[in-house]
Amino acid sequence: MTDLLNSAEDQAFRQEIRDFVSAELHPETRAKVSRGAPMTRDDFARWQESLHAKGWVAPAWPKEHGGPGWTARERIVADEELFRLHTPPLPGFGLKMIGPILIQFGSPEQQQRFLPRILSGEDWWCQGFSEPGAGSDLASLKTKAERTEGGWLVSGSKTWTTYAQYANWIFCLVRTDPEVKKQEGISMMLIDMSLPGVSRRPIRLMDGTEEVNEIFLDQVFVPDDLVVGEINKGWTYAKALLEHERFGIGGIGRSKHLLQRVREAAQSTGRADDPEIANALDTLEIDVMAIEATTLRLLAAVEAGVKIGAETSLLKIRGTEIQQALTELMLDIAGPAALPTRDSVGVQEPFENAMYQFLNWRKLSIYGGSNEIQRSILATQVLGLK
Amino acid sequence: MIDFKPADEETLLLKETAERFVADHYELALRNVMLTASAGRRPARWAEMADLGWLAAPVGEDAGGLGLTPKQVVPFLSVLGAGLVLEPIGPVAMHCAPTLARALSSTRAEAVLASVLSGESIELIAAGPAGAPVKAGREGDDIVLTGTIPLVIGGAQASVFWIVADCEGVPFLVPVPAEKVWVEEFPLIDGQSAAKVSLQGARCSAADAVTDCEEALAYGNDLAMVGKLAELTGLIDRLYRKTLDYMKLREQFGRPLGRFQVVQHRMADMFIKREEAQSMVDMAAEAMTGEDVALRSKLVAAAQVKIYDNARAVLRDAVQLHGGMGVTDELPVGHMVKRMLMLTQLDGGRQAALGKFRKAA
Repeated sequence: MTDLLNSAEDQAFRQEIRDFVSAELHPETRAKVSRGAPMTRDDFARWQESLHAKGWVAPAWPKEHGGPGWTARERIVADEELFRLHTPPLPGFGLKMIGPILIQFGSPEQQQRFLPRILSGEDWWCQGFSEPGAGSDLASLKTKAERTEGGWLVSGSKTWTTYAQYANWIFCLVRTDPEVKKQEGISMMLIDMSLPGVSRRPIRLMDGTEEVNEIFLDQVFVPDDLVVGEINKGWTYAKALLEHERFGIGGIGRSKHLLQRVREAAQSTGRADDPEIANALDTLEIDVMAIEATTLRLLAAVEAGVKIGAETSLLKIRGTEIQQALTELMLDIAGPAALPTRDSVGVQEPFENAMYQFLNWRKLSIYGGSNEIQRSILATQVLGLK
Repeated sequence: MIDFKPADEETLLLKETAERFVADHYELALRNVMLTASAGRRPARWAEMADLGWLAAPVGEDAGGLGLTPKQVVPFLSVLGAGLVLEPIGPVAMHCAPTLARALSSTRAEAVLASVLSGESIELIAAGPAGAPVKAGREGDDIVLTGTIPLVIGGAQASVFWIVADCEGVPFLVPVPAEKVWVEEFPLIDGQSAAKVSLQGARCSAADAVTDCEEALAYGNDLAMVGKLAELTGLIDRLYRKTLDYMKLREQFGRPLGRFQVVQHRMADMFIKREEAQSMVDMAAEAMTGEDVALRSKLVAAAQVKIYDNARAVLRDAVQLHGGMGVTDELPVGHMVKRMLMLTQLDGGRQAALGKFRKAA
């Protein structure tokens, strides 16, 4: 797959990353990622430790908070190279979500208390936004916080909480004022998951994993110093969260990694010369290029002082469409070889995980603002259709 | 290395000349009158185009051109494409002149190109279709050419054809004056004038032949493609904007069409396709200046596939969303659609582009 970022500096940086990964990445983890197998907490933790020791664990954080001080371009290169080398993509709930929010809106005490533990992996965070009754219409959330001495009592339930089984903290959107317009009565709170009143039910997904959970909150006490920023400003913070790394949401590295795996699978099974497969592979490679070129063009515009807003929704839409199409192409190549269950005697390499990845990645066009929501955002905010 | 910096001053100035030209000469009703005449009877604006620097823009300064980069000429060509300009700017400025500037020695290039860049004579590269190249035979000091080139845009206006002829599998270039070949003019679906050029034993001097020009021909083909992709990108952009305006204006069921979610989502998709096309043409233009020839061809072919796909999708939706008005000849929509179809068909369409992409890998 062609690299558009290939100047001498880019090449040198890629080499530095390759050297680091070959010294640090556990071969077992590498093998799992290269086959598309699911990651365990240990896989993530071990890799996070290596990245943290190198100072590379939070690419987009400012240097004073422990980021590596990379430019947007270097972050794209690093993302691409780390994917290519089969390193596990770390969950972003701490590193890409609440971390940047605390850097932007948190109190100095919150920053000192939480940021180092996010970097090191001592704390695992999960995200309490969606509710059984509030999915795409997130602002209608009902989990409520009631004022009490020195803080708030929070009750309600959250859902689709990824990796909550590993997490010891959850950042939640809760309703602190039911009387005002729905977006204006929401606050963001940090909740210790070991507190009484917090319970969890795993949700089994159609790929058989228990990646997501439902979280129940029953009169959980949240002290004032664990409210993020100001009361009733939670919606603003949640929107800011979506702005972070918005140029990374095209998932270029992720797409290139899967494309590389699909190509290899086509080659190893003699299907690469089948004109339909070859056409589909080349078309998807070109689709990825278009997302990469668009990301770089928008970034260049920002650097030149042009204001780029909701336009980046297009990167999420196209990136996830491409990734899903790749999982589908893998199935086309696999045929019945995709049917035996994982880890069974029937497994046929290299398609052990093809079906699971297809099933699991249906989520991509649903989470983080479904692709329908993204299209509505483009239409109303960029095209002015309202 | 691909750089996506926004347009500079020179680029914008050139683009403005194109915008003024289109506004002055290509209003739809005026253009419809022009379409009723053959190319030779249309208003002569070639000298004006030369004066504006258009013909010389992408040619190096050592060959008498302005030396603008491919990326600097993309926006002005986008405007001319979107403006449905009928003169063969692309074939001359993006194909013939830059190819000759590369293929010829600098003294010969300067001499040959002087009359081309000044607009005095129209000269075109003409190559037979894949699998049926023009054949060359040697007779003493002469070269004898035989073959048919079924479609040369602007062919009826040309005074010289630079024939790409085949000598045992190796291509070379040789100039043939128009009076030595058989030229039959016909209109294309988008209104541009083209010609069938037949060479039945056309004789020219072997001393005029340009050999060792494979690299220059490949470069010229890629650059000409960037020009066509720039036109397509301009058309995609204009069609998107026209459709968007119409969705805000046209009311049915008591509200503007743009308030219906199904329309909003289709317009969002059209916006995405426009953005992708713009990114890909910029990428291809940037790739033209790189030293890696295989990478250049690969990226140009990638842009070609993506922009063809997006052009097709945008024109389908633009017609659909315009409803009945979209299928008439009374709005610019139908004219833009035909121009887009012409541009996407001209070089063999999607499959040919994908084949080029694969070969360059």
